[in-house]
Amino acid sequence: MDTTPALEIKNLHKTYGKKKVVAVDGISLTLPRGAFLGLLGPNGAGKSTLINCIVGVNKITSGSIKTFGFDVEKDYRESRKTLGVAPQEFNVDIFSKVSSTLDYVAGYYGLRKEKREKRVEELLDQFGLQEHKDKVFSELSGGLKRRVVLARALVHVPEFLILDEPTAGVDVELRRELWSYLQELSRAGKTILLTSHYLEEVELLADRFAFIDGGKIVAAGSKEKMLAGGKKLEDVYLELTGKNKV
Amino acid sequence: MNWIGLYTLMRREIERTFRVVVQTIFSPLISASLFIFVFGTVVGARIDEIGGVSYIVFVFPGILIMNVLTSAFSQASSSTYFAKWARTIEELLVAPLSYFEIMIGTVLSAVARAFTVGIVILLMGLLFGAVQMQSFPLFIFYILGVSIVFGLLGIITGLVAKSFEQLNVLSTFIILPFSFLGGMFYTLDMLPEAAQKVAIFNPFFYFVDGIRFAMVGIHDSNLLIGAIMIFALILILGGTVWRIFYTGWRIRE
Ligand SMILES: Nc1ncnc2c1ncn2[C@@H]1O[C@H](COP(=O)(O)OP(=O)(O)O)[C@@H](O)[C@H]1O
Ligand SMILES: [Mg+2]
Repeated sequence: MDTTPALEIKNLHKTYGKKKVVAVDGISLTLPRGAFLGLLGPNGAGKSTLINCIVGVNKITSGSIKTFGFDVEKDYRESRKTLGVAPQEFNVDIFSKVSSTLDYVAGYYGLRKEKREKRVEELLDQFGLQEHKDKVFSELSGGLKRRVVLARALVHVPEFLILDEPTAGVDVELRRELWSYLQELSRAGKTILLTSHYLEEVELLADRFAFIDGGKIVAAGSKEKMLAGGKKLEDVYLELTGKNKV
Repeated sequence: MNWIGLYTLMRREIERTFRVVVQTIFSPLISASLFIFVFGTVVGARIDEIGGVSYIVFVFPGILIMNVLTSAFSQASSSTYFAKWARTIEELLVAPLSYFEIMIGTVLSAVARAFTVGIVILLMGLLFGAVQMQSFPLFIFYILGVSIVFGLLGIITGLVAKSFEQLNVLSTFIILPFSFLGGMFYTLDMLPEAAQKVAIFNPFFYFVDGIRFAMVGIHDSNLLIGAIMIFALILILGGTVWRIFYTGWRIRE
């Protein structure tokens, strides 16, 4: 079996703009295939920045990132094929119908017409979007928008799924559905990186955690190790960040 | 090459264009019709033939190429500007499309819109008896070359503009002065001598003159210089856009 890690980040630094706002400050992280990582940290810790560097939305200031052995800058096209991302902020064409949005993205990944149509149908069913498929994005409620973004991340059946606060502003029903769906994907051997503000969610789903604060990893390890002795994730989190609110 | 991806990018742009068909196709058609009406029927009746053809036949190629290049420009600039503004460009960045493919897809959509507008105006011109066609291959060459140049220029403008106002102002500044001084309505020898010397440095002058030669068979400029200029602009602007995409300037933070 191929043992190239799903994700290999080496000494990543990311600063924004001329003012050189430091968002990621020397992160190294390796995820084996099939891992389910919960990435935790307060607002402004650098979680979204890290994700945007992995998927190619942000430029890397220094350091390197590889997914399945593909450098995200040098072999960006190969790397992108392995990734599916649901960003924290909506970046969908608000004038585009739900079904078209999914269809276009399937096209970007090179799916042929018949395959695209089949895949879009599957996703519309799976995410309860069938009755909304002809609505344009701006007409949808927040929860439905989130569904579209999640469905879009899965169009090409990626090996590595990256979800940036996917359950923010989502109703309980979708949250539960998503949980069982993620567990299913994880059992099927997909690698998953999840950020969330709901600690119980991360505790339930992930098999390892990384805490970041101020652009640095302050602690990381397997669920077993970090929650040894029956500790709750919340306690660990508060200990580490010294903050009483997530 | 990710052909399906490239094709999808174009399909999306073209569908977007037809969502606002009034703006993209009808408004150039109306402006061209007004030009044809005013210059063909009203003013044209009082103007002698130029180069052996009626005034409307003389000005029609200029009207056509102006609308073609404006269409290519606004397609590429608005598409680029909105993709950045609404962050839908991220959808392309995370997909397995090369920066080259994104650039080609955007330019080809601009060319597609420019051709559509060109054909519609050509049909309109036929109705008014304003169309002559000396060399169809040359006609296609100029339409294609000019729309690629302005598609590329549109991408750069869409990236440079930081607000919607800036986008409009830049468009006006780039297109209007050059086009009115580009010999759409007159031959070079009608200009004062000083202006003639300046006109030969205006690329629009070569575009208008080239398409007029393809259609009417008369020309003022050195056609070879015009053709070289088109190729050179495509290379320079294409290289610039490719470099911008590659470095991520204004695209990736
Ligand atoms: N586009 C940007 N320009 C400048 N600074 C930014 C930008 N995006 C994020 N930052 C800054 O980078 C830091 C990390 O932000 P972010 O990655 O969004 O954190 P998180 O997702 O953990 O909340 C913050 O200090 C934030 O203000
Ligand atoms: Mg974030």
